Amino acid sequence: MEWMITADEPGKTYLMQGNEAVARGALEAGIRFAAAYPGSPSSEILTMLGHVADKMEMYAEWSTNETCALEACLGASFARVRSLCVMKQNGLLVVGDALHSASLSGVKGGLVMIVADDPSAHSSTNEFDSRHQAKSAALPMLEPANIQEAKDMVKWGYELSEQLQQLVMVRTVTRINHGRSTVTLGQMLAEKPNPVTIGEWDRMVAINWFKDAQIAKLDQAQEIFEESPFNWYKGPEAPEIIIITCGTGWLYSSEAVEALGLNEKVGILKIGTTYPLPEKFIVKHLLNTNKVLVVEEVDPFLEQNIAGIIAYHPELNIELLGRCGQKTLPRNGELNPDIVRNILASLTGKVFTGPEVAVIPPEEATPLPARELTFCAGCPHRASFFLLKQTLRIHEGQGVVMGDIGCYTMGGQRAGHYLYNFLCCMGGGINAAEGMGQLTRFGFKQPVLALAGDSTFFHSCIPGLVNAKYHDSNMLFVVLDNSATAMTGFQPHPGIGLTAMGKAAEPISIQKVAEAIGCQVTVADPFDISGTTEIVYKLLKQPGLKVLILKQECATLAVRKRKKPRVWVDQDLCRGDECGCGRFCSRIWGCPGNIWDYEAGRAKIDEVVCVGCGVCASLCPAGAIKIEGGGADE
Amino acid sequence: MPGGMELKNDVFVSSVCALCGACLDWCPYIANIEDHLVMRFDCYVADGRCYSVCPRTFTDWQAISDRYLPDTPKNIEIGPYYKVYKVKASQGINGQQDGGTVSNLVKTVMEDELAETVLLTGTDDHITPEPFLVENPGDIEKAAGSRFLASPGLRKIIEAQEKKVQKLAVVGRPCQIQALRKLGYNQSNEKPPMEVISIGLFCMWSLGWDFKEYLAKEFPGEKVLRMGIPQHGFVVTTDKGEHNLPLDEVKRYIKPGCSYCLDMTSELADISVGAFEAEEGWNTVIVRSQKGQELFSKAVDKGYLICEDYPEDELNRLKGASIGKKNRNLENIQAAFDKGVKPFIDLNSEMYVKVKKMAEGMVK
Repeated sequence: MEWMITADEPGKTYLMQGNEAVARGALEAGIRFAAAYPGSPSSEILTMLGHVADKMEMYAEWSTNETCALEACLGASFARVRSLCVMKQNGLLVVGDALHSASLSGVKGGLVMIVADDPSAHSSTNEFDSRHQAKSAALPMLEPANIQEAKDMVKWGYELSEQLQQLVMVRTVTRINHGRSTVTLGQMLAEKPNPVTIGEWDRMVAINWFKDAQIAKLDQAQEIFEESPFNWYKGPEAPEIIIITCGTGWLYSSEAVEALGLNEKVGILKIGTTYPLPEKFIVKHLLNTNKVLVVEEVDPFLEQNIAGIIAYHPELNIELLGRCGQKTLPRNGELNPDIVRNILASLTGKVFTGPEVAVIPPEEATPLPARELTFCAGCPHRASFFLLKQTLRIHEGQGVVMGDIGCYTMGGQRAGHYLYNFLCCMGGGINAAEGMGQLTRFGFKQPVLALAGDSTFFHSCIPGLVNAKYHDSNMLFVVLDNSATAMTGFQPHPGIGLTAMGKAAEPISIQKVAEAIGCQVTVADPFDISGTTEIVYKLLKQPGLKVLILKQECATLAVRKRKKPRVWVDQDLCRGDECGCGRFCSRIWGCPGNIWDYEAGRAKIDEVVCVGCGVCASLCPAGAIKIEGGGADE
Repeated sequence: MPGGMELKNDVFVSSVCALCGACLDWCPYIANIEDHLVMRFDCYVADGRCYSVCPRTFTDWQAISDRYLPDTPKNIEIGPYYKVYKVKASQGINGQQDGGTVSNLVKTVMEDELAETVLLTGTDDHITPEPFLVENPGDIEKAAGSRFLASPGLRKIIEAQEKKVQKLAVVGRPCQIQALRKLGYNQSNEKPPMEVISIGLFCMWSLGWDFKEYLAKEFPGEKVLRMGIPQHGFVVTTDKGEHNLPLDEVKRYIKPGCSYCLDMTSELADISVGAFEAEEGWNTVIVRSQKGQELFSKAVDKGYLICEDYPEDELNRLKGASIGKKNRNLENIQAAFDKGVKPFIDLNSEMYVKVKKMAEGMVK
């Protein structure tokens, strides 16, 4: 909550979300600049900073993509102001070039990057460990193990960044970002530095001349980390096993040691500075044991770096366990206290005797219905996928569809009639389509489509569109314009006309951008299923590059602006399970608002869920779905 | 009776669909644009109207013929008929193809209230077929002239039902008349009950809609005004003049489903109308039922149609052409069945065996 992150109450303790703690840490450090591209689990950080930016005399923006965000922070840093850059793990790969270059030039004003990983990919297309990038780009990295540390590390990150004149990466995971715990507030920086004048001979350039300096900064970071209070050991002097852990692994390990009563046998070496590792500190503790279990999220990053330390220290005699080697822990996927406890129990022969978490015996449990991911009621994507699927089938040319990243990624599943043939990363669809569309010269006949949302269009599709246009690929590029970055919580993007700080901006028209590139652009309404189907059908028959913008506002936003009409089923007209219907609305159209009345054996509208888009009424073969009332401006 | 998924497999995927349109518009699963007719989503209704009305799912055509034309003298070559006439309109109609007979029959239907609504197929551009229901005799002219592109016009039956039409006249291709009869035969309980009079057209085949693209490429910038098959080849009349297209070239665009059709003269119609090959400006009319005879007599009595006796040698020629089509397509059907297409007729039934024998006799 915004009052908590701005409160000038040092020493006061509040219950905070991890993302609030991160924002608070940055504010305590006196940041004047923040830039991010939304992505779970990091999105709340910039949302909150945007809301408090004016009050805190800082600037915040939702950048068009992560590269824009990081490089914007570099610009701010050059003028000696502190800046925060936020992204999720996929975003870190988008900024890969900038990251590796910037670590050569270093920074002037403190620059902390928050990279939020999503173990088990709860709200991502893939699980990815960001820490490899810190190592690859030779950047110091911190990993908070709890919410308090998240705040404290971010704040300290600025001191470190300015001391080293280097970017500092803070790597979090979903359970830190979205977890809640008590956080004791610190002092706000008394005076925020103002930007300095850039002199004629001031430089911040990334060239390989600075490689030695880059390495020296890393060595200096390692020396600092040897003494860091974020690293500590807790346990007996000569433990049977040492658990080396970082991030949420520390919480799981502490709980497991406690639960199994292993305090006298197992020690925990908690590392908060995971790159570069405090080697002397670690070796000192490893001399006291012969067995090490490494507990960490996603990849065996810490584990393999520990293995590296062991390799350089013949005085150590260690059996190293973790996700690699004997694969003591699962090779991928998110860990939890039970996994760690069970592994530790089997390693020590200790049996867990404490109270189990209350579990309902299977015979007493009510089975939960299996629920799949789907679009919200009234979502324009449902209509877009429905009409694209039917048009491809009617066209009978076996169109190939390249998907992209956003809410509409779900269109690759049942919600979108399994439309996608291809899915890669943000902006991946249009480029794959461009390539396949060039194969017509070799007799490839299938129509090729690429899909992208409006936010994705700005994020990473414009170079692809230029490429496809310049090389006149045979493809149809469909922009699913719902005027929202809906997947991550409605952050504004350049097409919206609003900034992260709530200021009005001139929206950028996707249509005009595409037309300026020289594309033939058609704009259609996905809610007009039959009309837009005809349009798509005609476009599929045309050679060359075509752009189709399917424009209809995200239902979750639209419903706030309009008076909701009442949609209901005249069950006397409904054909139900019979020929000529077969539950078409609830089974095929599949909107959560279209439900089945088991008693009547007829369709029904869940009027609580329904947002009144009325598309199902246009699809009902019996005209049984009725729309009443509604209108603009409630 | 099977349902939609069987129709998809047995008819659509097997490319035997005749594009009659009987399965459309009732069903939300079957969709159509131009000449593409597909299952857009999977249907799991086990007992489908679609399967039961389709002229390309298994049918005992002899039984249907016996039901609807019980008293008509049977004929193996051109189907049951009372009499064949050489006919033309007493006054020409704008856009008429041959003798203007169909337009005048329809006019008679409406004036004498044999039906209140007529299903016709018109066109806006002289190429693209557009089925529509006519309630006003003034609109008949919109449908004058032959359509060469296949069109699923029988879909309009659903619209007629929704409009609660009591008496409907249908002008259609042989496959459409077949579907119309099958619809009545299998769906006699379908509501609301509708009395139907059918005017069947002669048809050798229909063209796929890619023929439009071919024409656009052949005659760029020209506006097609008329198409026809007189004695020699295929003639396209545009705003720039008349063009002859080699018939073999045109035949490349025949819809695959047409090569399984055994009906050239709409053998199940109340009355069938086609070209009179021997003399331009005349039609052939085959009267097949009492209803057809009544309609024909009225049109003649009103002075709309002039009719003459049908020359014997022309009748033989017509029968020969019909048997020729049957024989050719029986071979195609046999080949399709051999390849695994679900049989939609019993090739061993007496009727088809006789056709084979007759065709052999003609060759000899």
